[in-house]
Amino acid sequence: MVFSSITFLFYFLPIVLGIYYIVPTKLKNLVLLVASFVFYFFGEPVYVLLMAFSIIVAYIFGILIDKFKDTKYSKIFLILGITISIGLLVYFKYANFIIENLNFWLNNKIDFIYVALPIGISFYTFQMLSYLIDVYKNKTKVQKNILKLAMYISLFPQLIAGPIVRYRDINDQIDNRKHTMEKFALGVRRFIIGLSKKVLIANVLGEMINTFLSSSEMSVLYYWLYGISTMLQIYFDFSGYSDMAIGLGKMFGFDFMENFNYPYIAKSITDFWRRWHISLSSWFRDYVYIQLGGNRTSKVKWLRNILIVWFLTGLWHGAAWNFVIWGLYFGILLIIEKVFLSKYLEKLPSIISHLYVLLLVMISFIIFNGENVNQIIENLCGLIGIGNIPIVSPESIYYLKSYFVVIICGIIFATPILKNIITSNNKKKFINALEPIALLCLLIICTAYIVDGSFNPFLYFRF
Amino acid sequence: MNEKRKNKVITIGFIAILFILFIANIIKKDEAVSISERRKLAQFPTVTLENVASGKTMEEIDKYVVDQFVLRDSFRSIKAYWSDYIFRQKDNNGLFLKDGCIYKIEYPLNKKNVQKTSSKIKNICEKYLNDDMNIYYSLIPDKNYYLESDYLKIDVYEMQKVMQEVLPNIKYIDITDALSLQDYYKTDLHWKQENLRKVVKVLEDKMNLKNTSNIHYEIQNLGSFYGAYYGQLGRKIFPDTINILTSNTINNSNTYNYQTSNNEKVYNMQKFKTSSDKYDVYLSGATPLITIENKDGSNEKELLLFRDSFGSSIAPLLLENYKKITLIDLRYISSSILDKYVDFENQDVLFLYNTLIVNQNILK
Repeated sequence: MVFSSITFLFYFLPIVLGIYYIVPTKLKNLVLLVASFVFYFFGEPVYVLLMAFSIIVAYIFGILIDKFKDTKYSKIFLILGITISIGLLVYFKYANFIIENLNFWLNNKIDFIYVALPIGISFYTFQMLSYLIDVYKNKTKVQKNILKLAMYISLFPQLIAGPIVRYRDINDQIDNRKHTMEKFALGVRRFIIGLSKKVLIANVLGEMINTFLSSSEMSVLYYWLYGISTMLQIYFDFSGYSDMAIGLGKMFGFDFMENFNYPYIAKSITDFWRRWHISLSSWFRDYVYIQLGGNRTSKVKWLRNILIVWFLTGLWHGAAWNFVIWGLYFGILLIIEKVFLSKYLEKLPSIISHLYVLLLVMISFIIFNGENVNQIIENLCGLIGIGNIPIVSPESIYYLKSYFVVIICGIIFATPILKNIITSNNKKKFINALEPIALLCLLIICTAYIVDGSFNPFLYFRF
Repeated sequence: MNEKRKNKVITIGFIAILFILFIANIIKKDEAVSISERRKLAQFPTVTLENVASGKTMEEIDKYVVDQFVLRDSFRSIKAYWSDYIFRQKDNNGLFLKDGCIYKIEYPLNKKNVQKTSSKIKNICEKYLNDDMNIYYSLIPDKNYYLESDYLKIDVYEMQKVMQEVLPNIKYIDITDALSLQDYYKTDLHWKQENLRKVVKVLEDKMNLKNTSNIHYEIQNLGSFYGAYYGQLGRKIFPDTINILTSNTINNSNTYNYQTSNNEKVYNMQKFKTSSDKYDVYLSGATPLITIENKDGSNEKELLLFRDSFGSSIAPLLLENYKKITLIDLRYISSSILDKYVDFENQDVLFLYNTLIVNQNILK
């Protein structure tokens, strides 16, 4: 089930909210647990068992790690727990990728396995890993109530598209969380904003991207339209999901970490990754990069550490080489910035550093979106007119005109301009009066788009 | 408004919208068809263990709740207006409104599909037709063709060039100059029968038929007509009016529908009253095989008209030249079994297709 669906918005959510606020406090976690399993079952009826198994693994190994704390067995149980969790992830997500590469490099003929990727497995596996590692490192207490641990891992607002909520960040909230009108309203606001980002910007641009991908009438203008639209689509889709997750969390009393902070206003790639998918980059920083020694080691090992982290970051996004290339591309850019470029970037006029980031990020998403290497090369070459293509074509002009306002809206809303206006003290009364009307109208308009059966993809099926 | 009151309004408003629509959807009775969209609506699926385990049931439920959503047409209208007035998009789901007329984008020219459609025509010629027969083909431009240049539209001449390569021995009849935007309905893809005299004239000239320009047809206005595009667009615009042309020849002619085994008049008024598509008044609408017999005709010639829905309205106007017209719609009957129903003798043969059909390769 996806948030931007009628089933979720007008059946699942009202029922769950209704029951959640009717039952006494002690039953609220149970309601969320059952709701989360129903939510996951609706999208992945069989793999709900896999998630249950993963939860049991996390629960048992968490208990064992804690019980044998300060002994060598604690580490053994940690390694076992991590191995099983990652083993499941590798089997369900990477097995066919590995077989494909083995067959290619070793001329083997290993048969592919018939297994579908369980939605959200990368997110909940990383949550489980952070839980086990934090218990081992005494950064959080072990959870002895399996229902509460299950509720944390399966919690539906963040289950299928993040943010990757760490157990230690919401441990206290599982038992003690506040439900106030203010928090609920804040949640509604975030949810509707996220829904609008997804339905009104990302999905609309997604239609144009699909048209481009099926077109044979290419031009330089069309490639740029594709590049810019892809950038905006991925940002609004992903940050929209995160906003919806954070908003839903607040409706149920939780405070999840922020996942995006206007990444397209970054002035360097380093800055960009402080603002993009924060929960994932901080996860890799804390559980991989620092564990490998971070930057407190020799220069060669430091560079190795960066490349390992970005290789894994790329691979996390999907079992295909374009994701690996995408990750390493950022790894190399970050190394270049860290080694010498950042000091020059700081001195450059803002406009130049913004353009530098936007161009490199656009190229990255063309790599990210590519079906194969040929398509990636073709889409990149198209930006500079390689391949005997015209500057413009009737189709590209038509779609530029047709999507111009949406793209401009996307560019404006990707910056904090609107937020700054709303949060400024000037005309506060007027904005306060306008905000509820605007939000509720947006909810109706998003509903209209969903009812119309407009393009509504789930981009994270490969995560 | 202070913060507290604002939060209250947001919370109550959100909860109200969620619960009102939830309850309204529960109460609302399911509908079988959408009249405006002219399609069957998804119904609640049959729940079986196998379908639940495979996720099929959930997919079907997702479709069902969207199709049966309360005030569905109004929500679709909101989307259409937002897309047009706020986002200034040039089309909504491939449809757009210009000067009170609705258009659907069919773009780009799909050369492979055009070649495949042409090959099917070629196969029919080789299998069933002989060299003594007069064989023609013609393309009915989609109405977008007559729009100004910054709209995406199929180039009819480019399409014809592709067809000509596959069908070098069949004569092409160009009717593009005999039509204009005014000859099409505003809310539908089809042409208006009352405006087809110029097209008929071109066909008569090119097919060496007698000129029927002097024949007088009565125009009978049947009333308002909301075409297929009207419901798909989801916007409120004025309807068209639908007319039929009558003459003694048409009035005295009968049709035989091979699918229903019924004899009907050329204009099926019963269909007009009951069908959601009023265009079905012409030869009873979509059907694989139908013949029209001209009982007044002194002419012994017959015509085989390979056609789509556009053919239904022009065929009656060709009756003055033929004793019998056999209309074959290859979207509903396979070309491989035609000889079971049609005697291929010495008829004139006209392949008359709208560019949308040729571009989609949907002939069997």
